[in-house]
Amino acid sequence: MNPTSRKKALRHFFGKVVEPLGFKFTPDAELAEFLLDQEVALEAKHGVPFCPCQPIRRDRARDMQIVCPCIPFHRKHFDAMKRCWCGLFVHEDVTDPDSLPQIPAKDLGLE
Amino acid sequence: MKNVSMYTLSTCPWCRKTKQFFADRHIPFEFTDFDLADEPTQDKIIREMEADGANGFPFVRIDDQVVEGWQPVRYAELLGIPSAAR
Repeated sequence: MNPTSRKKALRHFFGKVVEPLGFKFTPDAELAEFLLDQEVALEAKHGVPFCPCQPIRRDRARDMQIVCPCIPFHRKHFDAMKRCWCGLFVHEDVTDPDSLPQIPAKDLGLE
Repeated sequence: MKNVSMYTLSTCPWCRKTKQFFADRHIPFEFTDFDLADEPTQDKIIREMEADGANGFPFVRIDDQVVEGWQPVRYAELLGIPSAAR
């Protein structure tokens, strides 16, 4: 599958996964395109679409927790930020994603 | 002049914005892209980040202070410069 088709497929699949969780794709279309491009490349290299903004540790149990969409593994953290770490997904009520900072989990008392 | 270094990912747009933040202000910094580093270097980076309770990139060190994530207001505070736009 070529990268454009794969990106389209990931967008379709991810949408179905995140919607029941109360998330949607960021309204920042340029950011979403960039992140999906990175995920397609990461999937081609590693076999799964890892988050582009978290480290792949070569530890399978830990790494499976950053496969996109990784919201279920970080639910409290991402709910508190109203976005996922990379920003591909935001809470369904968010209209201004630039207003949502990245907040470390430890700063939220979650680790 | 503050000593600035950071760990980043080549695939992370927030890491790019962070590098641009410092470059725009002519603040020298060193960086290592975690995903482009060799395995021993990656292991060292993970140990350093975990020692500070950090899991995500960008991971910025300004003198002895650490900032996890794209936080331009915090960068500006630590640098002692006017707060920045997003």
